[in-house]
Amino acid sequence: MSTPVAVAEPAANPAGPRRAGRLTGFMPLIALVALVLALAIADSDFLTTRSLTAALRTAAPLIVLAAGATLVVLCGGIDLSIAALASLSTVLLALWLPDLGGLATPVVILAATAIGAVQGVAHVLLRIPSFIVTLGGMSILSAVALVVSGAGTVRVVDDTPVKWLELYVGGYVPMSAAVAIIVVAVIAVVLKVTPLQSWVSATGYSESAARLAGTPVDLVKIAAFCVSGACAGLAAVMLVSRQYSGGPTMADNLLLPAVAAIVVGGTAITGGHGSVWRSLAGALVVTLLRVGLPIVGVPSAYEQILYGVIIVVCVALTLDWSKVSIIK
Amino acid sequence: MSVAEMPALEVRGLVKHYPGVKALDGVDLVVRQHEVLGLAGENGAGKSTLLKALVGLVTPDAGEIYVRGEAVKLRSVVEAANHGIGMVFQEQSLVPNLTAAENILLGSEGASVRRGLYRWDVMRRLAQEQLDKIGSKIDPLARTDSLSFADRQMVEIAKVLRIEQRSQHPPVIILDEPTSVLESKEIDTLFAQIRRLREFASVVFVSHRLDEVLDVCDRVTVLRSGQSVGEVAAAGAVPRELHRMMIGSTGSDDHYHENAASVVGSEQPRLSVRGLSGKSFRGIDLDVAAGEIVSIVGVHGSGREDVCRALFGAEPATAGEIRMDGRKIDLRSTRAACAAGIGYVPAERKIEGMVGPMSVADNMTLTKQKARCAGPFVAPAKQASLVDRWIERLSIRTPTRDTAIQRLSGGNQQKVVLARWLVGGDIKLLLLDHPTRGLDIGARSEVYRLMRELAASGVATVLLADSLEEAIGMADRILVMNDGRVVTEVACPAGGKPSPLDLVKEMV
Repeated sequence: MSTPVAVAEPAANPAGPRRAGRLTGFMPLIALVALVLALAIADSDFLTTRSLTAALRTAAPLIVLAAGATLVVLCGGIDLSIAALASLSTVLLALWLPDLGGLATPVVILAATAIGAVQGVAHVLLRIPSFIVTLGGMSILSAVALVVSGAGTVRVVDDTPVKWLELYVGGYVPMSAAVAIIVVAVIAVVLKVTPLQSWVSATGYSESAARLAGTPVDLVKIAAFCVSGACAGLAAVMLVSRQYSGGPTMADNLLLPAVAAIVVGGTAITGGHGSVWRSLAGALVVTLLRVGLPIVGVPSAYEQILYGVIIVVCVALTLDWSKVSIIK
Repeated sequence: MSVAEMPALEVRGLVKHYPGVKALDGVDLVVRQHEVLGLAGENGAGKSTLLKALVGLVTPDAGEIYVRGEAVKLRSVVEAANHGIGMVFQEQSLVPNLTAAENILLGSEGASVRRGLYRWDVMRRLAQEQLDKIGSKIDPLARTDSLSFADRQMVEIAKVLRIEQRSQHPPVIILDEPTSVLESKEIDTLFAQIRRLREFASVVFVSHRLDEVLDVCDRVTVLRSGQSVGEVAAAGAVPRELHRMMIGSTGSDDHYHENAASVVGSEQPRLSVRGLSGKSFRGIDLDVAAGEIVSIVGVHGSGREDVCRALFGAEPATAGEIRMDGRKIDLRSTRAACAAGIGYVPAERKIEGMVGPMSVADNMTLTKQKARCAGPFVAPAKQASLVDRWIERLSIRTPTRDTAIQRLSGGNQQKVVLARWLVGGDIKLLLLDHPTRGLDIGARSEVYRLMRELAASGVATVLLADSLEEAIGMADRILVMNDGRVVTEVACPAGGKPSPLDLVKEMV
């Protein structure tokens, strides 16, 4: 006999959840196609190479950020520090480019990975919820970015080392978008062909069961934070290559879109269920909404309202109620 | 029948299914007015589900509940309260940082709240009225977390008695395991209280301690496998009689496959534990030979569950050593235990034993990843043939190996959880924490058969059984734990089994 609050009843209808699951699996793709069609109808210039490549270039950093954070969400946590970490990384990259040249890119990504690792270790060893660790991390990293940048934009005079991201693959596909898709593919494939998929899912669905099955839960979680950090670093490189500068708040407005991309993709915020492919689709949907709002005449000031609504609605649609006994 | 003779509460043919298990299978129950009715039954007999149904926390699939002869549907705790049925929960439901008065009136504030504001004088008076009913001297304005456990229980009873105001009838008060954490003096006070309650209420009393049940109750109803199997007047009855009704007479057939019990060699023990101590146990010595099944029995709070978890590294041990095949192992993580060939089947199968949404195949290979991998990569064909082999070998009924494990029945889920430790082929010691909990009789029998087979192949087993009968039926040797220590060891060979009562003597 337990406390009277919650009585979890197993699902009675075996066909129901599966069909619903299949449907939500295609939702991000359906939304993506619908958006492209709607935008094409609203603006006859939308389906041109120029505006499509522009949209892809805008989407690239978001795709990378969302893909990394998806791993943390799959493990049942959340990484709120990604945008602040990316901002800091743009500053570091801009500062280091003159001295390190081409080496600056890998060094910044490594630094971001290390910062992700520190947060992961703090979360695992100190047993602090990831939400709190990364909320604190976000604040700390923002402040560090302000301090090292002198609270201003750091211009990049010679951007040749990151110029390659501005190239086009086959003349049409922006290099940054290609890199973003490769990152998603690599993460997805590594998960799929190794035991990592099992470990990540088990950790996300039921950490206690995973632990008692001898799964390396702590290592998996720390690794997820490392990947999330590395992706934030890579996103920063993309941002610098586009803006020819680093700024202490440059990526800050990407946090909400990144979380929105994850939940729009249908990855469960409670962990376990989802994939990085879904986040790729989610990131494209979010980017198109962002690009499309001005086209249909909505001032971009309303963007934040949209993200807020998207996140709440999508979580409501994908939440696994059986796992949540008490809503806090 | 006049209203005065109507039963206060009557249950007819109550049925509740959970996937793979019938928790209630047509229970009948009568609670007369002004009587204390005891409810006895082993774990899994359906007591908890029945009580939950009576206070509206569980909706039964079939059957009726009558309050004073009138059929009622109880869909929530509030509806149950409106019909005069209230429960004192085993784990207390008081809010610790509120005063006793606030807790007593929580959810039924009545006149103590006017225009959304507390009226402390009224609240105090109303709470005092409740406390007076049970003759308690607790200060209504004391903070709940400053009270002793026994006092908090009194507050809880006073709170439950508020339902009198709603139903205009003598209420039915359900006490679920109220004595499990009380000292003996406190128990005496509680029993005096229960006898007092009888003057103006009916009481349903649930306890694992049969002597208590007989002491305080007028009548006892015994549940077994979700059915009411009998009823005895408490006066003149003895615990032994009740116990026999609880476990039924299944001793005659070979439910536990005793003829398949393996012969245990006397070589070096597979598992050897010396002086293991932890939060709730100390100085545990334990040897288990290859092929031997050792059962640890003890009442709730004896610490046996924690010992089992400590052997797997899931519960910290503060002192002592554990050796497997003579090699000392550091068991501070479940990973190390797995690597040493130890497997653990947790009691909470749905939460700890399996990952519900993951497939049968992924659940089965979760621990022994090597068994399905080629180098660092998963080999799908290897996994498929391995999993299919074990599905066939254990006759696991599942549509496909890719079906989510949560769609299987309880018995089949448990077989997958067991298979997880077997697919690697390196299992040496199995720790089974209530492996048959919530399983129906057929599934239990299959789990028992599997345990015998594993023992025959040299696997050592530590079993925390769901019932004493199961412990005796399965074990070669039984350790009795009481209050964190092993108090005695009883040989339990096939053909020379001890009686449950011999063990109960040591347990309490």
